[in-house]
Amino acid sequence: MEKMNALFTLWEYCLTFVYLPLDLISKWVTDMFNLSMDILWNLPSYSIRFLTFNAKPLLQVLIFPGLAFILVFAIIAVWFERKFLARAMLRVGPYYCGKRSGVLQVFADFIKLFMKEIIIPEDIDWFFFVMMPVLLPTIPALSLILIPFDQNWVLWDVGSLSLPMFFAIAGLAPLIPIFAGWASNNKYTYIGAFRVAYMYISAEIPLVLCGAAVAIMAGSFDLLKIVEAQRNMWFAIPQFIGFVIFFLGIMIEAERTPFDIPVAEVELVLGWRTEFSGILFGFTMMAEYVMFQAWTLLFITLYLGGFNGPNILGSTMYSHIFWFLLKFAVLVAIIILLRCVFPRLRMDQMLRLGWFYLTPLAVLNLIIVLAMKLWGIY
Amino acid sequence: MTKPYFEPDIMRISWGPQHPMSGQTRILLDVDGEKVYRIIADLGFTHRGIEKILENRTFLKGIIPMERLVMADTPNIGLGYVSAIEEALGIEVPERAHWIRSLMCEMARINSHLYAFGLQAESTGYFPAVFLWTTVDRAVLLELFEELTGARWSFNFFLPGGVHADLPDGFEDKVIEGVHYLRRRFQDYWVAMVENAIFEMRCDDVAILKPEDAIRLGATGPVLRGSDVAMDVRRDEPYAAYGDLDFEVITESACDSMARTKVRFREIGQSLSMMEQIANEIPSGPFRTRVPLFVRAKAGEVLSRVESARGELGVHLFTDGGMNPYRVKINSPTLRNMFVFERMAELDEILVADIPVVINSIDPWYLDSDR
Amino acid sequence: MTEEAFVEAFQATHPDLVVSAEVLNPKRVSVVVKREGFLHVSRSLRDDFGFTHPVSGGAVDYPKENRMQMIYYLMNPESKFMLTFRVDLPRDDLTLPTLTQVWEAMSFHEREAHEMFGIEFVDHPNMIPLLLPPDWRGGYPLRKDFKGEGIVE
Repeated sequence: MEKMNALFTLWEYCLTFVYLPLDLISKWVTDMFNLSMDILWNLPSYSIRFLTFNAKPLLQVLIFPGLAFILVFAIIAVWFERKFLARAMLRVGPYYCGKRSGVLQVFADFIKLFMKEIIIPEDIDWFFFVMMPVLLPTIPALSLILIPFDQNWVLWDVGSLSLPMFFAIAGLAPLIPIFAGWASNNKYTYIGAFRVAYMYISAEIPLVLCGAAVAIMAGSFDLLKIVEAQRNMWFAIPQFIGFVIFFLGIMIEAERTPFDIPVAEVELVLGWRTEFSGILFGFTMMAEYVMFQAWTLLFITLYLGGFNGPNILGSTMYSHIFWFLLKFAVLVAIIILLRCVFPRLRMDQMLRLGWFYLTPLAVLNLIIVLAMKLWGIY
Repeated sequence: MTKPYFEPDIMRISWGPQHPMSGQTRILLDVDGEKVYRIIADLGFTHRGIEKILENRTFLKGIIPMERLVMADTPNIGLGYVSAIEEALGIEVPERAHWIRSLMCEMARINSHLYAFGLQAESTGYFPAVFLWTTVDRAVLLELFEELTGARWSFNFFLPGGVHADLPDGFEDKVIEGVHYLRRRFQDYWVAMVENAIFEMRCDDVAILKPEDAIRLGATGPVLRGSDVAMDVRRDEPYAAYGDLDFEVITESACDSMARTKVRFREIGQSLSMMEQIANEIPSGPFRTRVPLFVRAKAGEVLSRVESARGELGVHLFTDGGMNPYRVKINSPTLRNMFVFERMAELDEILVADIPVVINSIDPWYLDSDR
Repeated sequence: MTEEAFVEAFQATHPDLVVSAEVLNPKRVSVVVKREGFLHVSRSLRDDFGFTHPVSGGAVDYPKENRMQMIYYLMNPESKFMLTFRVDLPRDDLTLPTLTQVWEAMSFHEREAHEMFGIEFVDHPNMIPLLLPPDWRGGYPLRKDFKGEGIVE
């Protein structure tokens, strides 16, 4: 009997293993059901509360420094590049799609890229190959959230961490071409990927040193405070060396023409992008412009007075955004038009520029700023 | 095709024929990182057997396929074959025809060199601005050609015994007008290319070809003159009207890719001045002697040489008394220069990024090398 | 050195190896040598007579006379006349020592003569087809008896 009792207890003990999960699951299901019914029932009020509470961040994510701004910038920049560089080449550029201006050509190309077949070569690392172009535009887009367009129009105000945060996020970007080039299993992409690695390392150190000099001069790493410090004078004037270095640095980071070494089409077909087709290629093209945008906005913030400017639109915020975008447009036009004047540097010349000229000059710039700070000139 | 070539750390890149800058050829590069250790040219993608085609055609019909060797430079190529035929058949050419031939040859040389600049600019990574400028300026020459010959591109204008037609009325003035326009444009090219700092960085000291190497490896044309060897068929054995024209043989002493580009630049200046001289001093007279359509040449052989835009073109014509040539051997300039290009990695240190610069500095035309 | 002076000096240097040496035209000299002393004569042309500039090379087929003539085009950078340096080969024994050891640039032209005429160049460092496809089995296209029958689509 005792034996039976013991067996029965054991059996009950075993049954708990079955009942307990069943119990938990049924409880969870009923809970979830109640919760979802609750959400469904109260959805209108919840969503209204969500929207009213998050109206500004949502607007920022979807419209202004976020998605719409990036897309519109990419479209305008591509159109400008095609139409105006065509004038330098004694052509008319896109002419038929969208009447004489050719604006619709960009949309037509985008649709074409979407419709095209995505060719995935054999013997490649499938995951990295598909993942990397998709991931590529997100990183510079992520760094855009730190840029202040007004005191009240910063998507993610991380306070005194914003400048280091920008460099940290943007510093991730070169990893992706390296993985993509390696994953494509092609000799051209392989060489292109290593060119990316060399180039970014030689460019990022002067950029960080210049950023440090700006932070020292402003007395803070906060981008907002840096902009405030330039209310009277843009940092481009006291730190002229840093200004020039940073200008070259953003051209290197954005792979604009004298430095578009990793995708040199006459040497490496398209560098690390060679194997991508269809919309994957579209993503890599778009990433180039997003990168360009993020670094140019940072450049304006650090050296060209950020959003500072006279109040001409009545509202401070609107005029701040207006001045920021005006500076941005002028700078983008200059950088794009530089493309028709310069051939491409060679890899070793680029590295010599980065290590022999930009880095020592960036250190010199830092020392000058420290001296100015110590003697209280600035 | 070639023997497998395994070495640690060396990667063989197949450069072309599907490549933005390769043209109709394939180049195999053995690279370690960026440095090129060995270049192998794999020619023959456009081999059409022109030498065999010429054997099966009469002398006159052969001019048409012969001009397909270099489309940008048809008068020079055609003149090589036509003058060989004239020498084999013993035809006298009137003086005016010689001058018209020289005029067309110089115009074609400018046309071809302009094309070479465009490619050279693009190979350094220039956005194709300069390439399209040269295309627009070539239209000036093409319109002159059109007025003179009725065709813009492949003329078949030189016949045994002279040229097809006389100069139209007022053509000399148009030539001088075109010369003035092109002189003005060359200032732009000089600024955009030779004086451009980055272009200079890309081309200076790249692929140095010393004079003794250039002679030893059989370079020709602007490649040889860019290596400071003054050899020019127009000067050494004057054909057409070149004996009466005043020009100098351009050489550059730097021996690098920039020197080869500069030779082409300065040769265009010489060609322009020759065009001007011809337009001003062309003698009057008949432009053609009548030659019967079907003629038999007596057995023998003729070796004619002309200076085409890419270098010396030799046509060795063997005749056996028939109406067709017995054998035509074409010594094409690009084939000789491609061999120099193959040896370039041994002569000087070359990086992957230099390959388009070097290959366009020798100005290859693969239809010419493959025949 | 004028053309006539060269011909005299050349015949005096290699009296028993030269078949004929003549000036065809002004600036054109033709030299035919025997196959036995071919390499020796070409070295002497380069070293003693200054023909350092190789131009080209090719062959001519004479099936009626049962011979093939290999022609090398050479140039002297000083005197600037064209030398056609020839050697006659019987059609049933088309072997020749390679001239790439004397003029490196003859490599391409010998490869072309090999694929077009079937001349064997002994010790050529890289004897692969130059212009024809690597799997070409259609015979030797520039021979006079080539009719194109062997070409397989």
